[in-house]
Amino acid sequence: MDNTKAKEKSGFSLKNLFPKKATSLNAKKARSGWLFVLPFVLGLVFLYVGVIFESIGYSFTFYHKIPAVRGGGYELELASPLFANYEDAISAIVDTKTGATFLEKMFTGFFNQIVEIIAIIMLSLFIAILLNQKMVGRAAFRAIFFIPVVVGAGIIAKIDYDNALLESMSSLEGLDTGAVASSGMGNLVDLMDISMLFENLGIGSELIETVSNLIGNIYDIVNRSGVQMLIFLAALQSISPSIYESCQMEGATSWEIFWKITLPMISPMILANAVYTVIDSFTAESNEVMSYILSIADTTNVSGRQAASAWLYFLLVIITLGLVALVMRKVVFYQRRND
Amino acid sequence: MNNQNSAPRVMKESKNKIKVEFDRTPLKERLKAKYLNSYFYRKVLIAIFRFVLLLGISYIILFPFFSKISSSFMSPKDFVQSDVKLIPKYPTTDTWKFLITENNYWKALGNTLLLSLSNALIQTFICAMIGYGFAKFKFKGNNLLFLIVVLTMIVPHPILASSLVQRFMYPEIAIFGIEWLSIDLTGLCEALGWNMGLYNTFVPIYFLSLTGLAFKNGLFIFIMRQFYRGVPDELEESSYVDGYGVFKTFIKIILPLSVPMLITVFILSFSWQWTDIFYTNTFLNSSEHTLLTANSFWQTMPASLDEISSQAGGSVDSFIIAVKNTAGLLIIAPLVVMYLFCQRYLIQGIEHSGFGGM
Repeated sequence: MDNTKAKEKSGFSLKNLFPKKATSLNAKKARSGWLFVLPFVLGLVFLYVGVIFESIGYSFTFYHKIPAVRGGGYELELASPLFANYEDAISAIVDTKTGATFLEKMFTGFFNQIVEIIAIIMLSLFIAILLNQKMVGRAAFRAIFFIPVVVGAGIIAKIDYDNALLESMSSLEGLDTGAVASSGMGNLVDLMDISMLFENLGIGSELIETVSNLIGNIYDIVNRSGVQMLIFLAALQSISPSIYESCQMEGATSWEIFWKITLPMISPMILANAVYTVIDSFTAESNEVMSYILSIADTTNVSGRQAASAWLYFLLVIITLGLVALVMRKVVFYQRRND
Repeated sequence: MNNQNSAPRVMKESKNKIKVEFDRTPLKERLKAKYLNSYFYRKVLIAIFRFVLLLGISYIILFPFFSKISSSFMSPKDFVQSDVKLIPKYPTTDTWKFLITENNYWKALGNTLLLSLSNALIQTFICAMIGYGFAKFKFKGNNLLFLIVVLTMIVPHPILASSLVQRFMYPEIAIFGIEWLSIDLTGLCEALGWNMGLYNTFVPIYFLSLTGLAFKNGLFIFIMRQFYRGVPDELEESSYVDGYGVFKTFIKIILPLSVPMLITVFILSFSWQWTDIFYTNTFLNSSEHTLLTANSFWQTMPASLDEISSQAGGSVDSFIIAVKNTAGLLIIAPLVVMYLFCQRYLIQGIEHSGFGGM
């Protein structure tokens, strides 16, 4: 003790220059958390932030192709009105058939996505509840339903997409009816029947169109709801059976139990799933807005405009996510724990 | 009630079983009480409805596979005949044979297996580590950093493709990508014999995985964080008391504990890397590293098949489609085999994840 005090008095050591702050064990432990997230931080610092800024930078620049005589390659120049690329991206007509601008296309695509997202969440919740019940062949059904999680994305989707393109271009459609079902689902149900049914019920045509689109896309929707099903199933498993038991004792029907117990208990997972589905479907390459953005660079060489429209779209996705989180936060029920 | 008056007569008694004689209600009565009531009817009806519904949706999921499999055994003639739907009239295994022999299936399979396996191992470990850091340590900026993790999921990676490729083609150590804070590594790479920088090697893909920035790693980090939040703090505290540091605790206590969850993440990252076309086609473009997802495997029509289809009279579009589908089947076949063995763990892992207690 005396020794250390004497050292401190004598004064001129590194320790005195940088006096060590008194830290609690907890604070020390908290700081070592940085070590665990270090890989991510390093990636962020050395790669990701640079790439992101570069891409944002591209959205404010014009591209000039340097002719091969002068060495080839590209030349960057700051856009003269700074937001020229953005203005271009907003006002340029992208769909020659309907004359829609990118902004319009983005918003129609947006609403289609929202409808599909709601459908995906409802379907996956419904199926998760079914798969959670005891029944014959439950293991087999579970195995089948999670196949799309493993093989549905990526290459298979791409091949299906390619084939659909080829099929639609093929003029021989009348001839080779033998292979209608060789890719994707073909027409599962005759959409005419459905719209007839709904029209006879006296429902508006827009609703009919939405519903029949959803039914036509059922293969796609089922394929995209695998992960959500997994997450919902996990959430359902974690609800304590004693809650259900006491509800049944009190005389609640299954309908009441669903609305009063199941739904609030898994509502945090509905939020998580909503966020995941929004991200998943808005950034999917099969999505029409994304595929348009990606196609810009392929056809013309205006990468500036591509970057600008991509970041506009990114902004829209972030706003959507924020709104979803805000709305859901009001609804979500958190079970308080005693800690 | 009657039993109290007359003690039941014991018929047979063994160590842990006892058979007692008593007046049973007749079988008919019992069956009546059990099955002839509205509760039972409703249960049966619901079960049938549920079964049919699940069967229907299973059909939606499985049918494309069935039709792809059946069309993969068809010869061009079958596609022209309108009465052939699922069962080919002129069955042939040519499609499979020539895809495997002429498009270098085995080599591509080996490469894909190597890449997916190593990459999935890296991703599983790194995401577990990062998720643990976010879940258990309340350091400054924890929430902000986690928000960034979520944001990395939203950024459409195809937009960044060209920048990423440049970063790896002309590798440099750059902080925030600022020019004067960077060290050029291109010379080093050339000295090591990589003329294109790190392009056409597995390094970029590994690098993205090592930093938790690869495809859907945000989701894995999120899943692991949720899982570790449910692990009681007392476990680590007792390990600290026993003299383990944070890292040793993580390796020796936390990782073994989270094996079901790790398997889930591993299966997801393995299969998503296996079927990924974006990253592999962005960073790899050489015959040396052909993967199953490379265009040279699934988009190229084997020469012999081309010949067969032209012999059948012009190009039959449906046959081309069938060949592509067969290539797709060949790509996912190993994955499906793996899934059949592992799906039990996938579901178990998610079930025990404590996902509900967010």
